[in-house]
Amino acid sequence: MFEIEVLTKKDFKNPQNEHILSDIASMGIASIAKVRYSPLYFICGKIRFSDVKIIASELLIDKITESYVIRRCSDLDVKDVNLKMNSSASIIEVWYKKGITDTVAESVVKAVKDLNINVEVKIKVGHKYYLYSKESQTTLNNNPIKSVIELIATKLLANTLVQDCKIR
Amino acid sequence: MKKVKVLILRTAGTNCDYETQFAFELCKAVVERVHISSLVERKDRISKYDILVFPGGFSYGDDIASGKILANEIKNKLGDEIKKFALDNKPIIGICNGFQVLVKMGLLPEPDVFRQSSTLSYNDSGKFECRWVYLKTCKKNDSESNCIWTKNLPDIISLPIAHGEGKFIPSNKKLLSTLNKNEQVVFKYSTKNGDIPQYPLIPNGSIEQIAGMCNAKGNVFGLMPHPERYIFSLQHPAKKGFNKKYGWGKVIFQNAVDFVK
Amino acid sequence: MKHSLVCKIVDILDLSDRELVKLSKINVLALSLIEMKTIQGYFAKLKRNPTDVELETIAQTWSEHCKHKTLTGIIEYIQENQEGKIKKIYNNLLKETIFKATVELNKKWCLSVFEDNAGIIEFDSKNGVAFKVETHNHPSALEPYGGSATGVGGVIRDILGVGLGAKPLANTDIFCFGEPNIKDSKVPEGMHHPKRIAKGVVSGVRDYGNKMGIPTVNGAVYFDNGYMSNPLVYCGTMGIISKNKIKKKVNHGDLILVVGGKTGRDGIHGATFSSVQIDKKSDLSVVQIGNPIVEKKVLDAMLKARDLNLYRAVTDCGAGGLSSAIGELGAKTGAIVYLDKVPLKYDGLRPWEIWISESQERMVFAVPKKNKKKLIEIFKKENVEAALIGEFTEDKKLTLIYNNDIVANIDMHFLHNGIPKLKRLAIYKEKKEKIQKSVDMNSLEILKALKVILADLNVCSKEWIIRQYDYEVQGQTIIKPLQGNNIEISGPGDAVVIFPYSIVKNTKKGIVLSNGLNPQYGKINTYKMAASAIEESLRNAVSVGADIEKIAILDNFCWGNPNKSEILGSLVRAANACYDISKAFEVPFISGKDSLHNEYSVDGRKYSIPPALLISAIGVIEDVANTVTMPLKDEGNKIFILGITRNELGGSVFSKVKGFKNGIVPSVYPNESRTIMKKIYQTINRNLIESCHDCSEGGLAIAVSEMAFASGKGVYVDIDTINIGVEESLTTAETLFSESNGRFIVEIKPKNVTEFKNLIKDCVFAEIGYVRDDRKVVFESRKNKIKVQEKSEVLFNSWSGTINW
Repeated sequence: MFEIEVLTKKDFKNPQNEHILSDIASMGIASIAKVRYSPLYFICGKIRFSDVKIIASELLIDKITESYVIRRCSDLDVKDVNLKMNSSASIIEVWYKKGITDTVAESVVKAVKDLNINVEVKIKVGHKYYLYSKESQTTLNNNPIKSVIELIATKLLANTLVQDCKIR
Repeated sequence: MKKVKVLILRTAGTNCDYETQFAFELCKAVVERVHISSLVERKDRISKYDILVFPGGFSYGDDIASGKILANEIKNKLGDEIKKFALDNKPIIGICNGFQVLVKMGLLPEPDVFRQSSTLSYNDSGKFECRWVYLKTCKKNDSESNCIWTKNLPDIISLPIAHGEGKFIPSNKKLLSTLNKNEQVVFKYSTKNGDIPQYPLIPNGSIEQIAGMCNAKGNVFGLMPHPERYIFSLQHPAKKGFNKKYGWGKVIFQNAVDFVK
Repeated sequence: MKHSLVCKIVDILDLSDRELVKLSKINVLALSLIEMKTIQGYFAKLKRNPTDVELETIAQTWSEHCKHKTLTGIIEYIQENQEGKIKKIYNNLLKETIFKATVELNKKWCLSVFEDNAGIIEFDSKNGVAFKVETHNHPSALEPYGGSATGVGGVIRDILGVGLGAKPLANTDIFCFGEPNIKDSKVPEGMHHPKRIAKGVVSGVRDYGNKMGIPTVNGAVYFDNGYMSNPLVYCGTMGIISKNKIKKKVNHGDLILVVGGKTGRDGIHGATFSSVQIDKKSDLSVVQIGNPIVEKKVLDAMLKARDLNLYRAVTDCGAGGLSSAIGELGAKTGAIVYLDKVPLKYDGLRPWEIWISESQERMVFAVPKKNKKKLIEIFKKENVEAALIGEFTEDKKLTLIYNNDIVANIDMHFLHNGIPKLKRLAIYKEKKEKIQKSVDMNSLEILKALKVILADLNVCSKEWIIRQYDYEVQGQTIIKPLQGNNIEISGPGDAVVIFPYSIVKNTKKGIVLSNGLNPQYGKINTYKMAASAIEESLRNAVSVGADIEKIAILDNFCWGNPNKSEILGSLVRAANACYDISKAFEVPFISGKDSLHNEYSVDGRKYSIPPALLISAIGVIEDVANTVTMPLKDEGNKIFILGITRNELGGSVFSKVKGFKNGIVPSVYPNESRTIMKKIYQTINRNLIESCHDCSEGGLAIAVSEMAFASGKGVYVDIDTINIGVEESLTTAETLFSESNGRFIVEIKPKNVTEFKNLIKDCVFAEIGYVRDDRKVVFESRKNKIKVQEKSEVLFNSWSGTINW
């Protein structure tokens, strides 16, 4: 099992970051300074690491503007691996709940076959948001910020009726 | 006279195929809309056509990124045939989603290299947007376009755009200067008077306002705007056009048909 | 009969009344006691208990959503006003009002009305145009993106499923939301914030419509906190169909083919759920996520198959899923279905779940055996799932089989006609409308009010929404939702025109689409609301060049809980208006839909939404070249008003922003209006009109300002010339902001003025001003010493700054 995270390269920006930031501001939350969004792809199946690399580099990223990281996940401990890359950021991950149609995932499965990778794979597509607080808000006591992050997760980024969200 | 045969390549999520077919038929070409699965079954069919079209739409829902899955599929299943078509100097056009496909499989800007060296990324606005824009036709020595598709056009035309990922970004400055040097930049977003526009007249933040481009030879052409939506003057917001009847988009299709003849 | 393990026998024969009610409630069957007892009686005759599959099938078929049992049931109606009481019994409200008008008007160009998945009118000698509007309210409240997307997907399938399938040409979408700036603390617990709902709904409509390649061309958005927990999402689709493909036929022996999406547990109980109020515990399984690309593939493949005449009938799987689709197709023949042959998304579905699941993107076909191979081949080629799952029979029974066991076996007749007629009481107490105290305002106050109204949520620019829709795809949108004389600026168009040149070769004809909606009026008077909505939809269509003789309309009622007699009474009153106004304008209804039970609870208290009647209009015009837009065209041209400005500020945007309680709600005067509409059509066809815009929300001042800023030009209006055709005189503010129906502003070239005046001499009209060359909008009353003036650009900024998310 592997998780691929798509990252926007340094010289480029994903305009979605700005939209999310302005949505957060319009919720009356002023403590977030910056947002960074990354798509996540969770690949499950008897697939070789080299093939996962091909999937990441040839299919999932835009070579010009994006790069990727691949994380190997054990069966049991899927979500906790290296989730937190940057300690100054709070992280929200959003995934569809089981049984909810995930149309992008279906497309990725098709595209993997087109790459002539003939292994049965299951794909899940998720969204990862890094939220950076304004400096003055970064206190040792994380609690007040956590409640804000929870609010952002449930009121803006995830619809908990159909999606699960994980907060770090 | 020779019947010009046009192949419009269709797949799940293609949606500008009818009007594109109509535009070519208006220019007296014979058009077939063919699903990619039947082309993959009979790859040799492709060479029987004179013109190849990658129409607009949302191929495979534009999942992952616009045009990405179709680009991946074509490259892996029909790559050799498509490359040959381009190198045989036959006209190829990619409109909107089709342009994204051409760029992401690397048929543009250099079909002989056939590797992705530029991209069409998210609009700076972060939104899908539908509107009409002005385009400046870039001409060789101020006389005529280098691209076989864009001859006989006035300096400024207008066409509608409708996309969320149309910001052209080359991988590096060298590529950009090559494109300029080879006169591969065909259309630039502009103001009514040909000046550099602000948003929303440049709807996506494209580098050097690039809206459409071709290969060095000028037979492979890709653009974000939709010429097939402006073949009649009636389709213009103020019903403007030429010869009291036609829209400037028609000229683009006519050029390719005439080129083949 | 033998029953499989996965199918339960439900003991109802021995249940008491109370237990029957409880059973209905626990299983979300949404059936009343009388209905449960009817079912009990049916199975008592069969001397057995029903299976869960049978019970679910009946509940789905008898649901309000599918059967419209309120509007087709018995209603005892009492209307009270000062003069006294009127009593009337309706045996079938729909048939006695809306449908009755259509029957009496008997228009030959109506090709299919109230019988198929959409209404169809004639386009030309060979083709018809089909139009349908649906609602998808409850799912959009819970999952705005998925809910609205599947609403769009659903109504597109209605068009694919009308006759043997129409090709969709355009979508329309109308929403009612709570106000987007409301404080979080005022949003009921467990509900999404209205802005989140609005953004999610727009995204859902955008993605589904755009990815289907169908332009979303017409719409409206209405904000009122009455819709905060229960937004309204109306989705419409128009399509074109060859006249010889309008009739379906199912023969016994035809195979049942299900095509498109696989079946999962999504949307179970959608049909019955839509008549249950929303609260924070609402069920997860009603949520569906659509996949437009699957539906696009179905569209592409089925139109191919249609043109090869490979099937005899088709319908979509909407609410009630396979149960509803096959139940309807096989109503006259009977059907046998092998549920284990239905392609599933995942294992573990019980037979009744397979049968009533509302998984998206599925269509059902009746296929002659000889065409089986060819048809399946077509779907396979386009990578569309297609599975034969049964056969139409001649035993007039619905038989369902799962793993060789019979899991349901009921009479089609009982299923479709066994439902007992509901009897409900409806009371309408007419509110007395009082004229407001005379509104006196000075020039500055009027200018301020003008800007506030332009920026009001219900008047302001919806460009942020409109441009996210690909309204140009297919290249046929020749009169666009945003209209301008150039590319840089544009204003709000009244209606759109679709020119289907790529489908109907060499045609000159076009299709006009428009709508009318004003829930604000309905808070005071639902009769006037309905009448005004009809007229507004017609005015909008006429403004771009539609012929009032060739317009048909659709009704979509979204109302609160019909078990409350006053709520039902207000609906009866609106239905009466539909009959009266449809007859008077000679504009027939061709299709409609109702969504009742729009009710939500907060802290244990129940609230119904403000009643909303959406009227969608479709018209056919002879020559698309003879169409006009609303921006002013040239300096020096004359401005005319047609129609009478009355003192009608009740329910107006002006009274809302000023906080007035009183005011008369605008009435409709069909004779006056219809004549004006006919004349406008004639004058447009003689190329006498440069621009045209109707007066609606906000009144005359708004209409004129919009025409000016949409072109960046100025305009002068002499208010003293407007007071025509009425006895009482209005103050300047009243004249500018009254929302009287039946009014149009038109721009005429000086050289055409005489001919124009001659043509419209039977109408009430006045020359009120001219187009200025200085980009200033000026309203002047010398009599009252008032001069309101502002740069059109400034007014544009007021109008365009409100929604920019």
